[in-house]
Amino acid sequence: MSHTDPEILALRALGETAGSARDAEHAGTCSRCRAELARLTEVVRLVRDEGAGERLETPPSQVWNRIAAAAGADPVPVPVPVPVSPAAAAANGTSAPAVPRIRPGRDLRPGRPHGPRRRLAAGLAGLAAGLIIGIAGTAGIVQLTQAPATRVVAQIALSPLPQFPQWQGAAGTAVMRATAGQQLMAVTLHAPRQPGFYEVWLLARDGVSMISLGDLNAGHTGTFIVPPGTDLHDYSRIDISLQPFDGSTQHSKTSVVRGSLPAAALGGITSPR
Amino acid sequence: MDRSPDEDVAAAFSSGQPDALALVYERFGPLVYSIALRSLGAWSDAEDVTQQAFVSAWRSRDTFDRRRGTLGGWLVTITRNKVTDALRERQRDSRVLLHVAGGAAVTAPQMPSDRVVDRIVLADELAQLPESQRLVMVLAFYSDLTHQNIAHVLGLPLGTVKSHIRRGLQRLRSRLEADGVAH
Repeated sequence: MSHTDPEILALRALGETAGSARDAEHAGTCSRCRAELARLTEVVRLVRDEGAGERLETPPSQVWNRIAAAAGADPVPVPVPVPVSPAAAAANGTSAPAVPRIRPGRDLRPGRPHGPRRRLAAGLAGLAAGLIIGIAGTAGIVQLTQAPATRVVAQIALSPLPQFPQWQGAAGTAVMRATAGQQLMAVTLHAPRQPGFYEVWLLARDGVSMISLGDLNAGHTGTFIVPPGTDLHDYSRIDISLQPFDGSTQHSKTSVVRGSLPAAALGGITSPR
Repeated sequence: MDRSPDEDVAAAFSSGQPDALALVYERFGPLVYSIALRSLGAWSDAEDVTQQAFVSAWRSRDTFDRRRGTLGGWLVTITRNKVTDALRERQRDSRVLLHVAGGAAVTAPQMPSDRVVDRIVLADELAQLPESQRLVMVLAFYSDLTHQNIAHVLGLPLGTVKSHIRRGLQRLRSRLEADGVAH
């Protein structure tokens, strides 16, 4: 006798009386089908009774800052060739997890460590019921089970400036990603090792104002959080400088490479509050 | 080559690609943080454990072998170890307190609950499902609707709903077996 249709097993695991009486009999006696049904039923039990459908908590942004700082301080340099061409950066960008994006403005911070999960399961069930009654919107229910989203906002090629002929062989990339509530800038630089260190800046249109994002590590890479509230329509250029170890926090005026955020990307960025 | 988004993240991670840590954090940050938060109950401890887990994962990335397991499962293991360390530290602190207070030390062994981990791994996988499939699964789990009613309500062909349910359940099951601990 053939085994029970996997779709019928799945429905039975959910508690539906799917399939014929013969299916039911087979699933009860065939060890393979019975084991498969038990595996699926256990998933259903975990999701329904133990609240495995709950929304995950998103770590607050300072956690990433601390990780990036600690990992950046890692004395072991990144050992691999760094992609520099825009094509390589593009390929790089598409490897981002394909998670649907959360609508802006939604506060992802958890309220408090939660009590019983049942409440959330019940809440989900309630939402599901709401959806059935007024089928108008599905966004609410979908968001509840959604992981934090990320999307590539811009991939920017950084190139040397004509006034600095000594850097003509240098090149860099900046990949900007938007996650819930913040923008991450992953920067790589191909340039010779020099005395001093490389620092990443956002330059304003006035050519004078600038924001320091941070320093590149020994592998000439770094991922930085764009300070929340930064007006990227104004601070639209990315600049990497070579800084001497002189204790000064100012830009050394030695720009290695530079690039601009494309206007199209800026359209997708929420204006500062 | 047909790789899942998670496999892409794992590949970037093991190649040490410069922004791989950010990618891994974006993908698995909520998983790690949720396990820590549910196991420890305190925000600040969960933040510390999350930080320790990712920094430790990054520093020991050479030991991750994606032919032998998933990146998610590897991170879950690291997270559980860090949670265990945090619980031990807490226990030490409370023993000192008890000693100071003149009470007897309580030395019940503490581990993050396997069920907590499994639950969060499943929640994470559910969140990765494509939008329409996730909606079908949420309705199948939490509403009293039969698959026929779900098809009707969502305006989807019956076959699509049945296939979403079968594949969805099997995918959840596989993830649980790969990255979970109790099953």
